[in-house]
Parts: sequence; structure tokens; C-alpha cells
Amino acid sequence: MSKKKLWSFALMLLLALVTVLAACSSEEAAEGEAEGEAGEEEVQDTLIFGRGGDSVTLDPIGATDGESFKVTKNIFETLVNFGEQDTEVVPENMGLAESWEISEDGLTYTFDLREGVLFHDGTEFNAEAVVANFERWAAGGPDEFPYYGSMFGGFGDEEGHIIESVTAVDDYTVEFQLKRPSAPFLKNLAMSPFGIASPAAFEEFGEEFGSNPVGTGPFQFVEWQRNDTVTIERFEDYWQEGLPNLESIIFRAIPDNSARLNALLSGEIDLADGINPADAQTIADNPDLQLWERPSMNVGYLGFTTTREPFDDPLVRRALAYAIDKQAIVDAFFQGYAETAKNPLPPVIAGYNDEIEDYSYNPEKARELLAQAGYPDGFEMELWAMPVPRPYMPDGQKVAEAIQANLADVGVEAEIVSYEWATYLEKAQNGEADAFLLGWTGDNGDADNFLYVLLDKDNIGSNNYTRYSNDELHDILIEAQTETDEAKRAELYKRAQEIIHEDVPLVPLAHSTPLIAGDADITGYTPHPTGSDKLENVAFE
Amino acid sequence: MAEAIDNKKAQSEKVPGPWVEAWRGFRKSKIALVGMGIVLFFIAMAIVGPFLVPEGINDQKLGERLLPPSAEYWFGTDDFGRDILSRIVYGARISLTVGFLAVIASAVIGSILGILAGYYGRWVDTIISRIFDIMLAFPSILLAIAVVAVLGPSLRNALIAIAIINVPNFGRLIRSKVLSIKEDEYITAARAIGMKNARILFSHILPNSMAPVIVQGTLAVATAIIEAAALGFLGLGAQAPAPEWGKMLADARTYLTTAPWTMIFPGLAIMLTVLGFNLMGDGLRDALDPRMKS
Repeated sequence: MSKKKLWSFALMLLLALVTVLAACSSEEAAEGEAEGEAGEEEVQDTLIFGRGGDSVTLDPIGATDGESFKVTKNIFETLVNFGEQDTEVVPENMGLAESWEISEDGLTYTFDLREGVLFHDGTEFNAEAVVANFERWAAGGPDEFPYYGSMFGGFGDEEGHIIESVTAVDDYTVEFQLKRPSAPFLKNLAMSPFGIASPAAFEEFGEEFGSNPVGTGPFQFVEWQRNDTVTIERFEDYWQEGLPNLESIIFRAIPDNSARLNALLSGEIDLADGINPADAQTIADNPDLQLWERPSMNVGYLGFTTTREPFDDPLVRRALAYAIDKQAIVDAFFQGYAETAKNPLPPVIAGYNDEIEDYSYNPEKARELLAQAGYPDGFEMELWAMPVPRPYMPDGQKVAEAIQANLADVGVEAEIVSYEWATYLEKAQNGEADAFLLGWTGDNGDADNFLYVLLDKDNIGSNNYTRYSNDELHDILIEAQTETDEAKRAELYKRAQEIIHEDVPLVPLAHSTPLIAGDADITGYTPHPTGSDKLENVAFE
Repeated sequence: MAEAIDNKKAQSEKVPGPWVEAWRGFRKSKIALVGMGIVLFFIAMAIVGPFLVPEGINDQKLGERLLPPSAEYWFGTDDFGRDILSRIVYGARISLTVGFLAVIASAVIGSILGILAGYYGRWVDTIISRIFDIMLAFPSILLAIAVVAVLGPSLRNALIAIAIINVPNFGRLIRSKVLSIKEDEYITAARAIGMKNARILFSHILPNSMAPVIVQGTLAVATAIIEAAALGFLGLGAQAPAPEWGKMLADARTYLTTAPWTMIFPGLAIMLTVLGFNLMGDGLRDALDPRMKS
């Protein structure tokens, strides 16, 4: 009997050993395979893009999330376009409008449209199509077309709606009449949600348009397997000669960062976003792979629900801002691919206030302020951490744990809480969190898209998760929207940042540089700061 | 008088008590002793360890993260710069507490239900046995996840979940044992002299059906530890910053290639405790099972 036991014991040890050895050797094996494949194939023309989540809808106007835009950016085109790696809007960027004119008073925008552009269903793109799109959006509501309302101030006849009328002057000229000047208007038009769709198609499909998108972009829609893949293929009649280079693109959702990287290493996918900063070196050292840095235009922050006790007291919020060691967090969990943040606005955006002096890491001061606020022994709170990696924060759980330890140092007991992503957003939006980690990636490169969207009282219940409401700030932000002199706007936004710094509705933590990795033979890929990339120039060598 | 005492003494020498006998049987198996050694080691570690370790379990030093094992940090540091050795030592307390408490709870509940089902039979048996069947129809970890999903993720709820999923194992074991014991002649005798049901149950049937429960209990501690680690790994058990081994493993996943020690040591700790309990359980079974006596 005992002999048999000994054998089984030895066998078990052997098994353990084999497992460890297998883990060590698997990497080499995978590399070898990938090389073999590359040698056999001629030139690859299908790109498999691994990403963290599935799209919500493929009708861009119905979406607000990056994963939806990542796909629709290649199916739809907008009237005007951002630069390859910036958010400047100039005619050279090849939007659907060849050129445009803005009247002296800033109320009339006239666009000359490109001729000979076809939608994927064969119908022609013209001024009527543009008008039909804007009429469709203006007739909707915030649930249907959320981004239209927040960028153009409302819908239809609403007071805040800044678009008075959109008219087709002739077949290829469209005129926009605004109620009041809007500085970010052109940039807004370049945003992914305002991609021009085929009127014939959205009339035919109605509510199903989100699963049957038809635009003018370089790729047309093929199929969508929910929570798995979206496939798009080359549009033969695309107006830019010779583009796109690829035959088809498959967007594949792989939620786990490590699993996605493993898929890339084993050759299952060709391009992967959401790379852990910790893995950057491994990728850089791997001759079969290359690493891209997306230009940073985001902020990751710790928000306070300013309507909940004790976070309704600015003293408490300021105390916690002093308690958090941002530099250590950035060093540890962004590993150099981020800089610490002192404003909710990233430094690349016009109007950034560099004169703000950040709340430096100072537990002593934090304890003092807590005592002043009436919490000398601290308090208990919930600290919400997002369950999924986001471009502005690759690992929310870890950041939360570090903050938890920081807070414990000043006597605040934080319990880390997390929900499934959609639930997390919904509950935080409803003000159910004490404090929550979240972030924002700019969609159009304008300060308005950060400060107004994240902290104005108009956006409580949508993107203002902190439920922070300040009338002085509101007046400044609205004034900055209508002001067209860029220098004056910048001054207004600087003032706004001072107010925000004073009140601390959120603690800005980091402006990160998201990482993307892909096969070494990919060319023509340029990550855009907004987080969604045009892929028509991508090819394999 | 004196003779009578002598007589008794002689008798007790000839026929040792069942526990002494079991210990003798157990002692014969070296492997079982090794298992017991491992278990005792971890129990000692859980009790006194936290007073001896060099660092607090939650002393974050973000400047010293992911350091490999060294003279200062014997097991290296994790991604928060915390000493892994200290956390593993403290983690023994969590894992063993969960293991023992969950098993004791399920053994007590399972035994009561099993005895009732086995002794009274008929509809009592039908109801209890069918409930056990239903519970056993689910894969145990899935059932545990469902329980935690309802109660909310925390260490206490993980413990409750593990206790619940182990109830039918004990219940069925006891029930079958009771079924065979209650046909024995000494039970019939007890009933014939008018002993009450309660007394028969607790002074005759219960003690005589304890042996398999002990064996099952030891083995179940091993599974309970694995289940707690699995729940921790899935984020449904112990919450940050508790140094639960399964959670430590989950946290280390990202660093599998760059800092393998963050994964190896918690993994080893789980493997060794489970191995210890399994070896000890096997030894106990051999020692307590009358059929194994040669």
C-alpha cells in the first residue's frame, strides 16, 4: 500500500515539474509557429484587430463608446476630418467636404461636397444625403442619438439646439445656419458619431440600421457576431483610388489584456490594443512584433459623488486629493506610459492651465484637513474600481488598491467595489458610488469636450458622473462655447480649471499613453489620439 | 477486588480502544505522517506566523515592486512592493480558517440531515435525499459561484458557499452508514429494552458513524481550500487587500512571464496544504476503515 502511495506521490511531483517546464517553453514554441506561418503565406490581406470589448452599435450616431467608433470610423466618413495624428480640421484631411466657408458672424457654414462619392449600397452621396442625415438626427432624442444632443445643444426646436437649419443649396453644396456662434462646431462635425449614412439604408432598416450600417467609407460591413467579431471588407468603389490596401478587417473582442497579448503572440490576431504597460518591454524586445504609442489625449481620474456625505464637503475632497500618491501610482501601474495629472484637461489641448499647483502627496496635510472637516478619525467609504482595462487606465483594480492603502494611511477605510462594466457606469451615473475611478478620452480635441462634458451641471445624469454643479463654472463654460476668439476661449478655460481645482469634484490621476502592439510587418498604421483609427492605409509588407 | 482490577487492566491491554488502534494504524504509514507534518506546519504558521514575519501584510512600497527573491525579501515582492513571504504566512490563516470552518459547518449540518434521513426513512429520507441529489447535480464550483453571486462577493460569503456545497457529501455518507448501523443487533437490542429514538441516535448511531466523517472531513478541508482559492481567483472570495492565496494568484497572472515568483509561491502554498490534507486523509481512511485491517 505505502509503495503505491510513494509512486503516486512521485508522479504528482513529476506532473508539477512538467507543468512548470511546459510554461517556460511555450513562448518559444509559439514564436516558432508564427515564423513558419509568415514564411508560407504570400502577402496577407486580412487584418485581425484584437480589442478589449465588443461594439455597442454600428450606427455611429447611436454610440458614445470607443469600441463602436473603432469600427464605424472605417465604414462611415464625416464632412470634415481630423489630421492623421492630431485634431486639427483642415480641407487637406480629405473629408467628404472638399472645402468650406464660414461667414463673418460665424453663423453660416457653407460646405462644397466631394463629387463622385458612392455609398456602399450604390446610392450617390450628395447635399440631399447630408440634409437627410441631419434631419434624422435633429428629429431624435437623447436616448437615440446621445452625442448629437450634447455636441449641438439639443434637438429639433429645443432652446439650446444651435443648428437653425441645414439646406441643400445645390447638388454638392450644403449650408448650415447656426443660432449662435459655436467655436468647436467644425471639430464637432469631424467626430465619429457624425458619420454620414446612406439615407436609403437608414430608411429601409429603421431601428435595425445599427446592425446594417451603410456609409461611404473605405470598408463595407459584412457581419457582426455579437461579443465576438465584426467583419468589414474592402469597398471596391471607394472614391480614393487604390485604397484601402486590405481586403478585409476582423475586429475581435478579447476582454482580458493578457489573453489578448497571448493571442497576438500565437498569431491568432495581428494587432492588439490595450497592452499592459508591464508588457511593453517584452514586445519591444520581440523582433516579430512592433509597438505603437497612441498620442495621449485622455485623463484617468478618481471622481467623488459630490452629493453624497461626506463628499459634499470640499474639505474632505481636498483632503483625499492630498492623501493620494499619484507619482507612485503612475510609476507603478503605468510604468512611464503616463504623466501625473493636475487638471482634468490633458496638456495637449488648448486652454490647459499650467499655472495650477497640484495637491502634492501629503498625508499630514490630509489628516489635518479631515480633522478640520470633522473627521479626525477618518471614515468608511466605498471605492469603486472599473472591472475592465480602459485606455486611460490599464488596470483600475490595481490603482484602486494603491489608493486604498493611501487612504488607510490617513484613517479612511475604503472597501473596493466593482460591478460588470455597463452596470458600473449606470450606477455611478445615478450617483450610487462614494468615489469611483473613471476616465475620458477626448473625441474632438477641444477643451469643451472635457470640461463641459465631464463637469457641467447640464451633463449631470449623462457624463458628469460626479454630479458636481457650479453655476459660476457653468456660465464660464457656456461663454467659452459661444466665444470664437481662441485666445479669449483659452482664458475662460483656464479660469474654469482654477474653479475645478479649488472644488476638487474629481482628483485627476494620470494622462496615459495607450499602447498598441502588432505584427512587425504591418505598415501604414497610425494611432489617432481620439482612440479610433482609420485603417485604409494599413497593409502587410 | 484486587483480582478484579487486574483483570480489567489485562483486558484493556489486550483490546485497545478504537482511537488508540486507529493511531497505531495511522502511524504505520509514513506518507500519512508526512501529510500530518505538512498540515501541522501550516497550522503552526497560521497561528504564530503573523507575529514572526518581517513585514505587515499591506505595507505598500511602490518603489520596491516586483523584486525577485533576495536576502531581504525571501519570496520577493509583489506588484505593490509588498513582501510575498509575509502575505503567504498570513494567507495560511485565511485559507485554513475558511477550510476548517466551512468543513465543520457542512459536517454538522450534513450529519444531522443524514442521520434524520437514514434513521427515519420514508418521506423524510425522500425529501432530504432528493435535495442532496439536486445539489449534487450542479458542478460544485458553479453552485458556489451562484451562492456568492446572490450573497455578494466577500470572504465570509465564500465560506458560506463552500459550506453549503459540501453538505450533501457528508449527508449522503452519514445516511448510508446509518442505514447499515440501524439494522445491527445492538440497535435492535437497544430498541427492545425501550430506549428512546433520541438516545439511540446520539449515543449509539452517531458515535459509530463518525469514522467516515472524519476521513471525509480531512479530505474536504483540502477541497474547501481549493474552492476558496478558486473563488478568490475569480474575485468572488476575499477582497483586496486580504492576502488570500487564490487572489494572490489572480493578481500575479499579469506578471507570469516577467515576475514568476509572484505566482509560484502562492501556488506552492496552495499545493502543499492541499497535498498535506489529502495525504493525511488517505492515512486516516486506511487507519479507520476496518476492511483495511489485515
